[in-house]
Amino acid sequence: MGESFWQFRRYASEDPASAIDWRQSAKSQHLFVREREWEAAQAVWFWRDASATMQYKSPLAEITKCGRATVLALALSSLLLRGGERVALLGRGERPWSGRTALPRIAEVMAEAPAQETALPPDAPFGRNAQIVWLSDFLSPRADIEAALNRLSSAGACGHLVHIIDPAEEDFPFEGRTRFEWLGQSQSELFGRAEFVRESYRERFIAHGEEVSTLARRLGWTYLAHRTDNRPALALLALYSAIGGEAERRTG
Amino acid sequence: MFASLSFATSWILAGLVVLPLIWWLLRVTPPAPRRVAFPPLRLLHGLRATEQTPAHTPWWLLLLRIIVAALIIVALAGPILGGGASPGSGPLVLFVDNGWTSAHAWADRQTAITDALTNASGPGRPVAIVPTAADRAPAVTLMDSGKAMRSARGLVPEPWLPDRKKAAAVLAASHFSTPPDIVWLSDGLDYGDASATARALSRIGHLNVMGDTVGRLPLALRPERNEVDGFATSIARAGGMGGRRGNVLALGSRGEILATAPFRFAAGHDTASAKLRLPLELRNQTQRLAIANEDSAGAVRLLDASAKRRAVGLVSASNAQSEQPLLSDIYYLERALSPYADLHKGTIGDALDRNVSVIVLADVGRIAGSDRDRMVKFLSDGGVLIRFAGGRMTEAVDDIIPVKLRTGGRYLGGALAWASPQRLASFPDASPFRGLAVPRDVTISRQVLAEPSVELGGHTWARLADGTPLVTAAPRGKGWLILFHVTAGPAWSSLPLSGLYVDMLRRLLLLGGGAHPGDVGFNSATVLPPLATLDGFGRLQKPPADVLPLRGAQIVSAKPSASHPPGFYGIQGSERALNAVDADMQLKPLGDIGAPIRAYSSAAAMDLQPWLLAIALLLLLADGIVSLWLRGYLANARRWLVPGTAVLLLLPGAPDFLSARASDLDREAALDTRLAYVITGVGDVDQMSKAGLTGLGLYLKARTSYDPKEPVGVDLDRDELAFFPLIYWPIDPRERDLSPRALVKLSDYMRNGGTILIDTRDQSSGAGGNGPGQQALRRLIGKLDVPPLQPVPPDHVLRKSFYLLQDFPGRWDGGKVWLEALPPPDPDARVSPARGGDNVSPVIIGGNDWAAAWAVDASGQPIADVAGGDQQRELAVRFGVNVVMYALTGNYKTDQVHAPALLERMGR
Repeated sequence: MGESFWQFRRYASEDPASAIDWRQSAKSQHLFVREREWEAAQAVWFWRDASATMQYKSPLAEITKCGRATVLALALSSLLLRGGERVALLGRGERPWSGRTALPRIAEVMAEAPAQETALPPDAPFGRNAQIVWLSDFLSPRADIEAALNRLSSAGACGHLVHIIDPAEEDFPFEGRTRFEWLGQSQSELFGRAEFVRESYRERFIAHGEEVSTLARRLGWTYLAHRTDNRPALALLALYSAIGGEAERRTG
Repeated sequence: MFASLSFATSWILAGLVVLPLIWWLLRVTPPAPRRVAFPPLRLLHGLRATEQTPAHTPWWLLLLRIIVAALIIVALAGPILGGGASPGSGPLVLFVDNGWTSAHAWADRQTAITDALTNASGPGRPVAIVPTAADRAPAVTLMDSGKAMRSARGLVPEPWLPDRKKAAAVLAASHFSTPPDIVWLSDGLDYGDASATARALSRIGHLNVMGDTVGRLPLALRPERNEVDGFATSIARAGGMGGRRGNVLALGSRGEILATAPFRFAAGHDTASAKLRLPLELRNQTQRLAIANEDSAGAVRLLDASAKRRAVGLVSASNAQSEQPLLSDIYYLERALSPYADLHKGTIGDALDRNVSVIVLADVGRIAGSDRDRMVKFLSDGGVLIRFAGGRMTEAVDDIIPVKLRTGGRYLGGALAWASPQRLASFPDASPFRGLAVPRDVTISRQVLAEPSVELGGHTWARLADGTPLVTAAPRGKGWLILFHVTAGPAWSSLPLSGLYVDMLRRLLLLGGGAHPGDVGFNSATVLPPLATLDGFGRLQKPPADVLPLRGAQIVSAKPSASHPPGFYGIQGSERALNAVDADMQLKPLGDIGAPIRAYSSAAAMDLQPWLLAIALLLLLADGIVSLWLRGYLANARRWLVPGTAVLLLLPGAPDFLSARASDLDREAALDTRLAYVITGVGDVDQMSKAGLTGLGLYLKARTSYDPKEPVGVDLDRDELAFFPLIYWPIDPRERDLSPRALVKLSDYMRNGGTILIDTRDQSSGAGGNGPGQQALRRLIGKLDVPPLQPVPPDHVLRKSFYLLQDFPGRWDGGKVWLEALPPPDPDARVSPARGGDNVSPVIIGGNDWAAAWAVDASGQPIADVAGGDQQRELAVRFGVNVVMYALTGNYKTDQVHAPALLERMGR
């Protein structure tokens, strides 16, 4: 990103050949790479939650939450890569990618990624000054989310929470005698007439969203809610401008 | 209606007590909820709805389910509507009133017995059948239900009244290990012994009483009065409830209907009357009177020769005495004869012109001129001339007298006479008056005397105490000439004032019918052998072997019984009738006998189980739909409607399977020549048909070269008939009417050469018969185009197609067999020993219940008892063989008769 010289350093095998400063290398036995200012610092790290709850799709939606999260992540990656930014997947160990070849690789990794057990981002290394995009439904307990956010922030990251919401989760369109259950959860909830708990449920759900949002703002993260029955472009635009704004804030 | 509801396994009904439990269970179990996967489950935790779904199912749904449960329990208990006794554990005793009073609705009894036996056919439940009108002393034998069924089939109503007291006594004397269930199949009448019988039976075991409904109680035909213009009949019924109408028939000796008269019981009356208007000639051809459609011996009056009315001509020489009727001869003759004869007064010429059979001449001395010649001819043609003496005869007499008379007369008891008036001596044995009681107070004071001669004794039919002839007679040609030696009025004797006068004249009237004088009279020692007797259904038949002859003394007083069933006794031409009903017959319905009386249901027992289960299934379906709706699944009901409708549309497709069966049957029928029977839809009849044709098939296989495969039943509506050369069709009153389609099929079948053997199974014969089978036959094939019929002529090929047969018995014997009338024989042709038309007769009609005679069970043993034993069964089988051969070979046998002639012609 920067233009001004920062330092020469010895060539490492993962560096592209184009990064070698041949003039400097010719002066000695070793190959050197010219590093510029800020260069290693800026990368966008994605954490897409692919846990079981993300695989849910209600009849009102056309795509699972996980699917929508993947779409958003790929679209954003595409935009960023075109802008010359570097993109990485949190927890995959790789260094950030850049360039035209990066997008297919990201897509490949995302597609191959097994459904994670955990909804929370792993305690994996990432570069300094990284921006993190965390796409999830944030249905984990509040304490877990808060701990993860704190951990990431203390590692120097800041970023964006994208709350993916299935319309059924927000609108609660159920009626009549209904038993609610979820895989792997032994207890279930039985309501004689589901429509009568709609209001109190929605209050709770909105409160939950605000809780997550509050957590994010306190640490300087942004929060964006997205319903899977809305067009992803809107969310993408908001997200992209948020990332741009954050980068400006840092450089500025 | 519910009175006749019974249960096959009633203990299951105890399951009804769990209904409250089911109610409670249904109440505490709410409907199953809809299950929804929902990720933010955690957020739902601890929410409380402001209003819950009622955890209780709505009450009407509960009620629906309770009804379903109750229906299933009741259905499992096997409810049977109508039918016989409820099954118990002890022996079953059927106490059957089988007098003629049961005959009119005997089918009801048979159905009730069959139902009771079917219900009782538990393992080893013994059954006894006790008929109250048995021909022997009834014996109580415990049988298994199969044997009882056979025995019940052989049970027929008897033409006398039941003796319940005796039967109940026999039953009381027999020993049962456990108290039996007694079903009293009563005739619905009380002979004064009903409540005593009911008490006696209740003491023996558990009593069920069945009786006819009031409208179906028997009718009885009381003795008729032979009046001037016809028969006045009186019909009695039991109880006076409601109106009832019917017809009385006058029937000739061949069963032809001579007259019909309607009768109507007014409500509240137990007697009705009907007048059969008949001209005298037809009246004398009447053999019996009967109530139409009331097939019982009590609804039949047999008329014997004494009931015939003669036309009698009365001629008196002194016509000018009518102003003093009590002195007129004609007056006494008229009073004596008018109840029994049609009288014509006038001259001899008038009487002869009127074609009378008896002429009475009172004090005519001479028959003059042409009258004399005509009188001689009248006598030689069979007429009867009865002459009375009188003043004119003492002076001059012609030669038309049986014995020579002395001129002058004889006075007895006069002032100058030496002898007192004479009494009558008893009648000689050769006289037609024999057996008549001689009253002590009849005296003769004056008479004409016969010239003594050798043959005078032989001509004397009555004489005075001193031996002088009072009545002399002599045959003239075919007729009789009779002379009373006294006047017809009381001038010479007190005989015309006595009842003896009437009796003597009645006996003499019989001579006008061609009877022999020796047969007309009878005394207490005369033996009257049975000529023909009635069975319980009121049909005349040959007297059974155990019928005893009547003594002359009994003829007036005899009550019908096993040894003397109603019928004709005596000698043909002067037979006497013994009738089942006498003048003082009263029919009283069963009153309160201390036990409820169930009505025979005319319909067979109906098994309600399938219907109840079907209703339960439908209700369950409704319950399912309601439950779905309650759970909200019906929001997208349209998705369910399509497959549901498809299922409903497929259900009527079930007949496709049936038509598949039909084509299978066609294939089998086409591959082998099979015997076929019509499926009547009446279970026992169809079983009997199948067993019968199976048995006949075995006989055919053993005796002929034709080996029929297993017989098949054909449904006239659905099945193709063309494959069968012979179809056996038993007629049962319970059969349903034929559909137009079946009628067309039958006509085609008969026109195209098929043969239908119709069996009315009621032993009836003749076109005028009124047996239940005959009525059903008329109802069933009335619309069919049946060719003209005739009884099988003696030279018909049916009698000779395999065996030589005289008659065609089945289980019964004596019914006539009818088939298509042959064209009259060509008088010019040589006498052929066998005749048949060019075709096989399309229809053979009889009523001897052949299938029952042929029927064998799986082991080849005969199923049904045959009236005439093994001999008759053999003849029945021979008839079957002949019919099959006739149907298969057609006129081949007739042609074979000509074979010798043809061979001879070829050789020449």
